[in-house]
Amino acid sequence: MIDVKEQEELFQLISDVLEEDISCIAIGGTAMMFSGYKATTKDIDLVFKNAQDRDIFVKAIYDLGYRQKTLKGIYDEKRIEHPGKPTMFTRGDERFDLFVVDIFGFQLDFSDKNIVQKQVFSGKKKLTLVVLPKEYLILLKSVTSRPKDFEDIVTIINLEKEVDWDVIIDAAFRQEKNNSWIVLDLEETMLKLKKFIPQKIFDRIYRKDKTKDKAEKRKKQS
Amino acid sequence: MRQKYTIDTYTQRYHITRASALNKLSRLKKKGFVTVSGGGYQKRIYTVSNTKIVKTNGFYDLVNRYSPEKLVPKFDHVIHGRYSVEEAIIDGIKIGDIRTLEATKHLFRNVKNWKRLFDLAKKNKMVEKVRGLYQEAYREMKTRKMPKRYLQ
Repeated sequence: MIDVKEQEELFQLISDVLEEDISCIAIGGTAMMFSGYKATTKDIDLVFKNAQDRDIFVKAIYDLGYRQKTLKGIYDEKRIEHPGKPTMFTRGDERFDLFVVDIFGFQLDFSDKNIVQKQVFSGKKKLTLVVLPKEYLILLKSVTSRPKDFEDIVTIINLEKEVDWDVIIDAAFRQEKNNSWIVLDLEETMLKLKKFIPQKIFDRIYRKDKTKDKAEKRKKQS
Repeated sequence: MRQKYTIDTYTQRYHITRASALNKLSRLKKKGFVTVSGGGYQKRIYTVSNTKIVKTNGFYDLVNRYSPEKLVPKFDHVIHGRYSVEEAIIDGIKIGDIRTLEATKHLFRNVKNWKRLFDLAKKNKMVEKVRGLYQEAYREMKTRKMPKRYLQ
């Protein structure tokens, strides 16, 4: 486990070892810690714009003694076989899950419109971590779906009374073409959180399913 | 979720004495859940949050310190390490909307290291934009003079 201060010190250290300035998006526990939703995390999830940036980051953490680890036991088979799976590096207790643009089919938008926080660690080179809004954290937690992810979603919902579920659903619908089980995973998570979510949000998902079925039927008939 | 209180409204809200309220707020402040504004002749206003309040020190704090045109932060910008006016000018151009650019112009009054500014501009491929913004700032307000070698 790593706490907020240790995490900041670790990123500062990495920025001292980096060979070029890079920026990435923090999701999962790291983003939750930066947003103040929790105090410790086991895995540091980062999403890079391209493989080149990830390689620069990997080289830096490799120099610090982190070694690649298998995804088995952390993610299920469905996710291990997905092209959008992360590469995992570990050293002692903490672990890096490093994605490139795609998180199990969820394509992250690297434009500036979704930023709520920017953490800049300037050592020898600059490491910029971008934090996304809580709605995206919830959605991505339901996509990664590891043992502690559901607990984290509950933590966010308990602390934030105003979660815009429409934003979450819209983002999931947009990503459906990249990965058909994003909406299914989200619905499964939402059903467990039924008491926090208004019924009209579920209606939107089911309406969409119905129209999809109708369209498929029409296609078959034609 | 954030809420603002004075010491009186806080005591009323939680049905506690004034001393208890001060103790509680002080403890929450130490943990990072409360920020205070005012004091002295002004009544203190306590902003209480149920998540830790992020202390920013980046672009928006710097611009709002030096520029008469204030900006509402679009995001929390936290810097670990060094952050100078030169870097803020580059960040302002990167953000790029008109209001931000107008506020960024005022930062040219506080540039100390022109070389650093142009090194950063070269790295981010925005030398022409920096020159353009400087020239606008130079026409509109009193600014420091950019060395001639950077103007060509």
